[in-house]
Amino acid sequence: MSEARNWATHREAKAEKLSSVASLLNGKLAKTSDAKAILENLIAPGDKVVLEGDNQKQASFLSKVLASVDPARVHDLHMIMSSISRPEHLDIFEDGIASKMDFSFAGPQSTRVSQMIADGSLQVGDIHTYLELYARMFVDLIPNVVLVAADKVDRDGNLYTGNNTEETPVIVESAAFHDGIVIVQANEIVDKVPRVDIPADWVDVVIPADEPYQLEPLFTRDPQNITELQILMGMMAIRGIYEKHNVQSVNHGVGFNTAAIELLLPTYGEQLGLKGKIVPNWEVNPTPTLIPAIESGWVQSIHSFGGEVGMEQYIAARPDIFFVGPDGSMRSNRAFGQMAGQYALDMFVGSTLQIDQYGNSSTVTNGRLSGFGGAPNMGSNPTGRRHSTPAWQSLRPDNDPLGKGQKLVVQMVETFGSNKRPVFVDSLDAVEVRKEAKLQNVPIMIYSEDTTHIVTEEGIAYLYKTSSMAERQAAIEAIAGVTPVGLRSNPAQVADLRARGIVAFPEDLGVNRNQATRSLLAAQNMEDLVKWSKGLYNPPAKFRSWS
Amino acid sequence: MEKLHFNYAATEKIAHPVHIGVVASGDLEVIMKPTTNSESTLDIVTGSDGFKEVWGNVLTRFFDRYPLLADFEINDFGATPGVVNLRLTQAMEALKNE
Amino acid sequence: MSNSFVELHARQRALALLDQGTTRELIGPFDNMISPHLEPQNIVPEADDGIVIMKGQLDGKDSVIIAIEGAFQGGGIGEVSGAKIVSALEHVLADNEAGHTEYPIIILDTGGVRLQEANYGLLSISEIHNMVIALKQYVPVIGLVPGRVGSFGGMSITNALLSYVIGTDKARIGLNGPEVIEQEAGVKEWDASDKNLIWNTLGTKQRQATGIIDEVVDDDVKAFRTAISAAINENKDSHRDQRGDFYLSLLDQLDPAKPLDIEGYDKLFKAVEVKEHHLAAAVSGSKPGTKSRGRNWFELLTGIKKAQSDVPTVLQAQAGGRQYIAIVPDENNRFPRVRHGEVGLQEGYTVASVVNDLIKADADKPADQKTPIVIVVDVPSQAYGYKEELIGIHMSLASAASAYARARQAGHKVVSFIPGDAVSGGFLAQGLQSNRLVALDDLDITIQAMSKASSARITQRTIAELEEATKHVPAMAYDIENYQKLGSLYNLIKGVKGYDSSDEAVKTVKKALDEAFKSLEGVKPDLSFRYTNDIAVEGVAGGRKATNKVRALMDAQWNK
Repeated sequence: MSEARNWATHREAKAEKLSSVASLLNGKLAKTSDAKAILENLIAPGDKVVLEGDNQKQASFLSKVLASVDPARVHDLHMIMSSISRPEHLDIFEDGIASKMDFSFAGPQSTRVSQMIADGSLQVGDIHTYLELYARMFVDLIPNVVLVAADKVDRDGNLYTGNNTEETPVIVESAAFHDGIVIVQANEIVDKVPRVDIPADWVDVVIPADEPYQLEPLFTRDPQNITELQILMGMMAIRGIYEKHNVQSVNHGVGFNTAAIELLLPTYGEQLGLKGKIVPNWEVNPTPTLIPAIESGWVQSIHSFGGEVGMEQYIAARPDIFFVGPDGSMRSNRAFGQMAGQYALDMFVGSTLQIDQYGNSSTVTNGRLSGFGGAPNMGSNPTGRRHSTPAWQSLRPDNDPLGKGQKLVVQMVETFGSNKRPVFVDSLDAVEVRKEAKLQNVPIMIYSEDTTHIVTEEGIAYLYKTSSMAERQAAIEAIAGVTPVGLRSNPAQVADLRARGIVAFPEDLGVNRNQATRSLLAAQNMEDLVKWSKGLYNPPAKFRSWS
Repeated sequence: MEKLHFNYAATEKIAHPVHIGVVASGDLEVIMKPTTNSESTLDIVTGSDGFKEVWGNVLTRFFDRYPLLADFEINDFGATPGVVNLRLTQAMEALKNE
Repeated sequence: MSNSFVELHARQRALALLDQGTTRELIGPFDNMISPHLEPQNIVPEADDGIVIMKGQLDGKDSVIIAIEGAFQGGGIGEVSGAKIVSALEHVLADNEAGHTEYPIIILDTGGVRLQEANYGLLSISEIHNMVIALKQYVPVIGLVPGRVGSFGGMSITNALLSYVIGTDKARIGLNGPEVIEQEAGVKEWDASDKNLIWNTLGTKQRQATGIIDEVVDDDVKAFRTAISAAINENKDSHRDQRGDFYLSLLDQLDPAKPLDIEGYDKLFKAVEVKEHHLAAAVSGSKPGTKSRGRNWFELLTGIKKAQSDVPTVLQAQAGGRQYIAIVPDENNRFPRVRHGEVGLQEGYTVASVVNDLIKADADKPADQKTPIVIVVDVPSQAYGYKEELIGIHMSLASAASAYARARQAGHKVVSFIPGDAVSGGFLAQGLQSNRLVALDDLDITIQAMSKASSARITQRTIAELEEATKHVPAMAYDIENYQKLGSLYNLIKGVKGYDSSDEAVKTVKKALDEAFKSLEGVKPDLSFRYTNDIAVEGVAGGRKATNKVRALMDAQWNK
């Protein structure tokens, strides 16, 4: 036998790194001004580094410090990030600090991401959904260092992440139990945290940040901007989908279409006598447009991926509805939310930028590689699902003895976008973007096979009822308006599809176009939402439109 | 800004003028006036250039369904085809409801 | 499911306020009265030009609703829209004069002058001011400011002239929008991205607390109807254009060098000790005042050398039986925003006090013996500042406009002499209420609604695009010769410039003024000359052709 193998090389390497910064630490606490020195000592060239940041919460202090380190000491990092949101997330690639990226979403930086991939300055491992990226942190992308953000940290290093807990737990867990180093930026150091969201012994270094982490009110939609067409589509969806399929649990994507539905439940939904019958259970961020539905008794539970700026007090006062800790503040969790969104929901309702003639959809448009985020987890049929609900069963094909139900995956779009470009296209821009960015797969957000319904201002296509691709295409054409796809539809075929319930127009659903006015919304502006919340909702200043 | 003109064969005479909509951002106004012409004429002023073909497609569908014989004046401030269709339909309904 | 008034468009608002079955729209969308000025600038017009005039009954009382459509071009007032309002108000006045009581209700949802028809907008708005003031002798003129645009610009001066103003908390009231102040005075003066500051300053909550709006109601159709009826039945009038002594006292007690926040202002507002203010005539001083064309001509026409005044920015004196009034720059003025001759808080109220004193002094004289007034116009703009907006500079400008209009309506002949700039709110306060505009043919004179930089920002064009537009549309131009093409001037004096001071120049100007005053003998003391003279009527290069077309149409439709 040769020498006994050392089974703790990771642990020893971690201990050695931490001892190199011991003089900069008081327990686990470092000084703000030492942040750069700490990162330069704790991060080694080639390390896999998770930098926390999703579409709302960003470890913005640590990302700025990382962009300032000496590339001679720290270089060629392999970054793992949910979201590429801030300029310095890409600056570090131009400076050589990092060279490879595995990510999920690139909203605000999507144009630059495309360019950097094309010119070779950014090497992409792959583009994921949130849940996939988290999963790989425990398999083949186990991090050496994670950089995360907390609201409050006590002197022992216990973290309070509160409303915006989001993805902090899953990231910290991937490092803490595999000898990775956990570095935390703190908005505030306190004697006692309101509650422990992450225990201190999972944490290695805490650095007070120079300013609170960046937090975007991403899910806030001002009802003022909801249009009559969105109201019309919302009415059709409530009648033709929510009611028809007896939907009990739902996720709504970010957007005005779903905001319209949320604000129609207490009015139009009430008129239809649906209160108490549909959508009591939600997996959704605490969007302010849900307040009227909550207040009028439509909602029994809401679990959230993250928080929403301004909703903190309202949530704290509604613990029956939200997931709230004993301290009185909400706990969110993005990983659990994605899991629930994939497996536990009857229905996902989202919007998109392009749908092709077959029903595949993508938010990737020319020159913008925006990634996936969480929508594909929600907007897909989980074939591993075994439990049944009435809505799920309602989609079961009746000609298969082993057949099972299906998750409702609904896309709601106006046939033309606000830029007057057609949403329905023969071929997605994503096909071209795949070539330019040298991706393995075309970046499809939701595949045709998973899409069960499409709603436009023209009507609803019940795609799950189609029996062939040709029929599926005809159903899409029937509701695609005067887009190139829609112009192919012919009246005889549309009449047949309507007769067979594969396509429904507003009149088929008993929806009166003249009723689709803004006065039907339970709240018409932000002030109405504040009033509904009994003053508990405190919108960010940028939404202020009253005195 | 672009000015467009269309003619459509139509059969259903209207008895009195109708006005609907506002020239607000993303919206349009539609005016229909009774005419002595044998076909409908449409004079469109639109703030979005380069969409003549789309306008033609929207209007062709509308006149296929509702062959209203009238002089149309449309002032459009960047409405989507969906909104254009909605306003045309509302103007049509305003006629029917009287 | 509320019965929101704010959500409604102009026509729906008018219909919602009036009793069902009583309504009739005048110059509506089928009358083909479209602005001729927008399409040449590549802007989509609206069939009613953004103004709905609706006759009907409100709670059984004959009423006329004038509703501005805020969603069309920001509710801006141009030639057609302005003429619709003015001609409707004229008919309401004529009806009331003839013993037929009829209540005008104006729904303000407007940014003021439509910048694409700049000088038409300014002219129209001054004519609206004139009519509102005349009408108040018969009936309350009720204003509504529902929001979302609220009221800004010259139409906020209108707002301040109205008898009683009702709004919701979705409305803001100010003279200069925060974006314009940021553009003109810098982001330190006002950060236009700070929405909380904007709403806390200009929102109706603050405005009601400090007397700028009378009543704030819920956003509900019925609430508006009820409030309007009460205002009419109780004949409410808050006389917002005659609070000069209060505000001049407030300004005496304010230190403009120090920052002023809302709380500080509220405290000051409540603690004001009101004293009467009268401005003594300017006298010859030892030091020359800050150089300006306005000062130059005030001194030349009154014979007062190195004129000095207790209010350094306002010069007044009588000479040769005429009252002269000028607003002048003062490089060390305690209000930094008026140092270049802008019309600020103190200037508007002070001018009003001079004119009001004159009206009172001449009250018992027959009309043909009342002291004629010469307004010496050299105003580069109104004052752009945070304090100015917080305190409500539009009310100061309104009080000056009101005083000049009331003087004229009482029989004083009023001639504006324009040797310098005549811009925007400054011109509305100091010049546009005269029956005759007499200007020097001097291409250094700027005459417009807004500076090029601000106008470009607000209309989302480049300065180059804006300048291109000014070449084709006389109303968009910035010079006096193009202004003459509108027909607005009584006389354009050739051969004399703003800084001339020769005896010959003075003689020429005096002669022109004499002639202008002579032309006013025996004519109605109104503003009609501007659109009835040959240049205006023929409209070869602009004129007031559309104005006259609107007026004729309104005459034809008023009593069907």
